[in-house]
Amino acid sequence: MKLKKRAVESEIPTASMADIAFLLIIFFMVTAVFSATKGLEFKLPKEEENSPPEEEEAVFVKVAADGSFTVDCKPMEIDEIIPYIEPKLLRNPEKPVILYTDGAAEYQDMIRVYDMLGSAKEDTHGFKVKNIAVPTRSEVQDYIELFGLNPFEARCS
Amino acid sequence: MRLSPPKRPAALIPTASMADIAFLLIIFFMVTTVHEVDRTSVNLPLAKFRTDTEKGAAIVVMAKQVDPSDGIEHLVYKFSDGEEMSKIVGGPRDIYFEATAVVSKDPTTQFILKADGTVEYDKVDEMLDQMRDAGVQNVLLLTQQGTEG
Repeated sequence: MKLKKRAVESEIPTASMADIAFLLIIFFMVTAVFSATKGLEFKLPKEEENSPPEEEEAVFVKVAADGSFTVDCKPMEIDEIIPYIEPKLLRNPEKPVILYTDGAAEYQDMIRVYDMLGSAKEDTHGFKVKNIAVPTRSEVQDYIELFGLNPFEARCS
Repeated sequence: MRLSPPKRPAALIPTASMADIAFLLIIFFMVTTVHEVDRTSVNLPLAKFRTDTEKGAAIVVMAKQVDPSDGIEHLVYKFSDGEEMSKIVGGPRDIYFEATAVVSKDPTTQFILKADGTVEYDKVDEMLDQMRDAGVQNVLLLTQQGTEG
């Protein structure tokens, strides 16, 4: 007697696919993080470019230990910086702005001023602060060797 | 003649497209997920006008962390060359040696300074000095979004 063989239908089981997919989604959602990928550009001078900017030609911004600051020795609010330097930089766009921060001040106080200086744009303000000099410890040391005192500390006193 | 009551359609949630949506979401997460070389939690300073970091930039971390053994807040220094995960280093002098190695390979490498906003500027200044001595020129001060920009 000849037996009839029933052909088995080939099928890929996909019932668990959605479960796996959702497990993967949950994994990616849990491991995904909001990363900070933006900041302020800051150019460090080369060792040989250590010539100090002409002090009397520069705008001098000093951040004090308590977070307050002065521009050319005048106490100011953060919003007053740009209007103050505007005429100076319109006359001389290459005029350097020296940003000196007291060692005891918080890093965010320096960032606040640096960010404000960088906010001036050609299209909105008609000028841009091209030369922001932030003297580092060794540069200040060079000044001290040159002048016998810290000119940034002594300037407004 | 008695009519049989109308047949109620069975309640059914169409799930045929669920797998498609799920796979679309997986692809989205796979594409947008980036390999981060540093995950240190840092209270970044705020800034309004920021620019993007470069891909493969080295990272210098200065994070304030409380030591669970003594409960005192310490400043922790970490470094990543942009390829490997960040590792704890002793201080600015170690960063100098690490940065020198990176700069010797590519002097244009960007260095991201990821520092806590409440760190004393003196410490940041010391770090910038060491980076400068190492020949670093391109630095980006990592910030978080302020109110505008």
